[in-house]
Amino acid sequence: MSEVKTQEFRRASAKVLANAKLQSYLGRSMGTFDGARAEAIEEISPERWEELRQQGREIKRHTLDNLDYYLEMLQERVTANGGHVHFAKDAAEARAIVGQIAQTRGLKLAIKSKSMVSEEMGLNPFLESIGTEPVETDLGEYIIQLAEETPFHIIAPAMHKSKEEVSELFGEKIGRPNLQDIEAMAGAAREVLREKLVSADMGITGANFLVAETGTVTLITNEGNGRFCTSVPRVLVSITGMEKVVPSMEDLATFIRLLPRAATGQRISSYVTHVYGPKRPEDEDGPEEYHLIIVDNGRSKLLADPDLREALYCIRCGACLNTCPVYRKVGGHSYGWVYPGPIGAVVSPVLVGLERSKDLPNASSLCGACKDVCPIKINIPHMLLKLRSQISEGSPTSSTKASFVDRITSKGYRRLMSSPRLLGMARTLGLLAQWPFSRGSFIRRMPIPPFSRWTRTRDMPALAPKSFRQVWKERLEEEGR
Amino acid sequence: MADSSQIRASLFVTCLVDQLFPEVGEAVVGVLRGQGVRVDFPPGQTCCGQPLFNSGFRKDAAELGRRVLDEFEQSAYVVVPSGSCASMMKVFYPEIFRDDPVYGPKAKALSEKVYEFSQFLVKVMGVEDVGASHEGKVAYHPSCHLLRELEAKEEPVTLLEGVEGLEHVPLEDADTCCGFGGTFSVKYPGISQAMLDDKVDNVVKSGASTVTACDASCLMQIRGGLRRRGVGVEARHLAEILWDGK
Amino acid sequence: MIEGVGTPSEQFIASVREALGRKAGPPERPYARMVEERASVEERAEATMERLSANRRANVDELARVASLRGWVVHRAEGVEDAVGYVYQLAQKLETRRVVRSVEDVFGDVPLDDALTSLGATVHVMARGDESAGSFDPADADLGVTGVDYAIAETGTAVILPRRGVSRVTSLLPPVHVALVKPSQTLEGLDDLYLLRRLAYLRDGVDAGSYMNFITGPSRTADIEQTLVIGAHGPRETHMVILDWGL
Repeated sequence: MSEVKTQEFRRASAKVLANAKLQSYLGRSMGTFDGARAEAIEEISPERWEELRQQGREIKRHTLDNLDYYLEMLQERVTANGGHVHFAKDAAEARAIVGQIAQTRGLKLAIKSKSMVSEEMGLNPFLESIGTEPVETDLGEYIIQLAEETPFHIIAPAMHKSKEEVSELFGEKIGRPNLQDIEAMAGAAREVLREKLVSADMGITGANFLVAETGTVTLITNEGNGRFCTSVPRVLVSITGMEKVVPSMEDLATFIRLLPRAATGQRISSYVTHVYGPKRPEDEDGPEEYHLIIVDNGRSKLLADPDLREALYCIRCGACLNTCPVYRKVGGHSYGWVYPGPIGAVVSPVLVGLERSKDLPNASSLCGACKDVCPIKINIPHMLLKLRSQISEGSPTSSTKASFVDRITSKGYRRLMSSPRLLGMARTLGLLAQWPFSRGSFIRRMPIPPFSRWTRTRDMPALAPKSFRQVWKERLEEEGR
Repeated sequence: MADSSQIRASLFVTCLVDQLFPEVGEAVVGVLRGQGVRVDFPPGQTCCGQPLFNSGFRKDAAELGRRVLDEFEQSAYVVVPSGSCASMMKVFYPEIFRDDPVYGPKAKALSEKVYEFSQFLVKVMGVEDVGASHEGKVAYHPSCHLLRELEAKEEPVTLLEGVEGLEHVPLEDADTCCGFGGTFSVKYPGISQAMLDDKVDNVVKSGASTVTACDASCLMQIRGGLRRRGVGVEARHLAEILWDGK
Repeated sequence: MIEGVGTPSEQFIASVREALGRKAGPPERPYARMVEERASVEERAEATMERLSANRRANVDELARVASLRGWVVHRAEGVEDAVGYVYQLAQKLETRRVVRSVEDVFGDVPLDDALTSLGATVHVMARGDESAGSFDPADADLGVTGVDYAIAETGTAVILPRRGVSRVTSLLPPVHVALVKPSQTLEGLDDLYLLRRLAYLRDGVDAGSYMNFITGPSRTADIEQTLVIGAHGPRETHMVILDWGL
């Protein structure tokens, strides 16, 4: 599995918050994505958009609720099309399968089209270790491969890099120094990659959708690299999470209307590529061998929990990242694993373990903007709440427990709020305690946690001299008579 | 829409208003009574349990929830001057108690009669103008739970625009969270603060002399930020504005 | 084959079933689309074809409108000469030296080779056993010309089904791609396309083809600072020539 740094959320996010340049850039560019999405929805009409979201959601719900059935069908049809289907329960198995294919066929150069699952698996270092050169061919992925980083964003993996940084990187890593404008950088990458694209013997892709009925893998791309990966190399391997299945080809129309609009505001992407196994004998070109690797890697834990299952409806558009006020402040790397942002805060803890990702579900104001923009209407805030309860109270699959302080605080609060009389007594104490700190109705600095964490940057209201219930008793109740 | 002469409503004032902002509660009572509502205040009420629920302590939250369900069982309507606490009662109680044979039905019953303050006025009472007057520019911040769990987009704006002398000015990125988020504000103060900074910037940009919302909690956050920055914009609950001039 | 790695399919699928708490077998609540009889799919496809032929003018107009919004340079040719002339002028403007094209019926309707050759360009047919290919590397071509199998008005998309005579890369390798579209190939929307292709698979299975590509305008990227660059790995320029005369 690729390196997990979810436990470092606090430190990593503090670093991003302190980076003024990245802060202003993040706000701007996320706003651009968000605005493009809103415009595309306006164009198709919000009513139509709502209809499509509902359709998409129902297709996903049906398929996930019967996933075993559709996986079986998919396997049968891909096989009938002449392809091979492999199942991997975890990242290690998935790596082993890819390794076996590469080694037994003597494959030396693998061109990759964007695949999030391959990030989960840490596939690139593994391929290098067995002597197969992996080359990311999506420009953003290529940049972060050169920089030896992980994706910052689901659909724009290198969005955190300024053109100056890319220029420097290209000078250093591919011998193309002093490129000034972005067009020249894209041109340089195209030239360097073209050589790889036409000579690779292995193609590796992810999948946006898998059609069970026809055994079809669908890829949605803009650059054309996905077309190279599925056309040129003699062996093609698609690696995908098991949740990507839809029943029928006709279901694709809905998702092709939803995904590009939600992701980039495009009405459709430049290319939608459908692969039905290897080339047929009479075809001019195409892979001689086709492999589909279907990966679980923790997904069955999401599947098994009816409250979390809908996390698997995700079509990886990134809209929840773009709109999330927390993501806009902490960026993608703070989340510490492959999937950042709101959906990552649900998926990562389950896939890598709740124990080491307690911050992810908690670092959210639960504002729900993610749910509003999700093209599948995934209720992310409700799932974050569910995970918080698993963190605090434990769950059948995890032994996590809230910290001692949190437990004491919560019991104390519950006890206090269970008795208006106790609340009144506490209030009297509170009035005394706040006296040295309050200035009028405000407190500027309260040195006792958790209040100190509030007053570091904000003024805090003091307890009112009389509570509402006192005012009610003394005056309001009577006035209503 | 009900005949207002018969309407009785129980006030769930919320723990924050009870302890910190009783003037908001007074304004709520004043506005409701001004519309002919007979308001009562069940004395056993404390907190809806949301802070515990949001921290993942569902069992503790349920204990407080049961108190609320018992306390308000007889009420015809329950009015809450908070989109957030109202969502807890309307949306999350039924989820918490879904398998509880006793409190499940009670939660469903409460869910149907609990209303956030502005929604109660517009949807139940059919009121658009409460007869208030307020001179000045007011920006409205739609609090997240009100907007997204209760889907109240128009009601507060309708009421504001009915206020004499009030100029409703647009707030940029109004729908973006102010960064409060309950315990989030003290568990992740850095992120909370960064979000608040944007909100305060936009409030200043709006040119408003007052920013309003339907949640005392978000207002506490926004006010805290405005004051710390020395910005002379007031942050007041919608109920207070609707009670102005009375 | 790959032996001894991965989880056996029965075991994997059983574990999914267990996670769902489901019994083996088809969905309890059937999905309308998946329990539809073949005859009914065929009926729908027939009705679709009728609708398409009744609305052909409107669909072609919409295709031309949307395609140009999506980045195609659209030319509605009024006759053979007009179509050939358009490609000729384009090749002239681009100073084209090498052209690749596929082998399709449409080149019988629109004979391009002589016109292009008269410009001094060489035309290579990308098909196996073609003599003209010689040692030619298609990656060196500066213009690729293909027909299409469908064109979708809703999205401004050309759909190509690679097969014998139709390479996957004729429309990919050269920096400029010209797609020749017959009005009779125009579909109204994505639903039409997927219905027809679904039916093709239900009828022909593995023989329905190995690949299907949607092309909508030029290739593009915005991966550096969200700045749009036209022309990434695929063509930077795409022309849709609609053969607008009763084909």
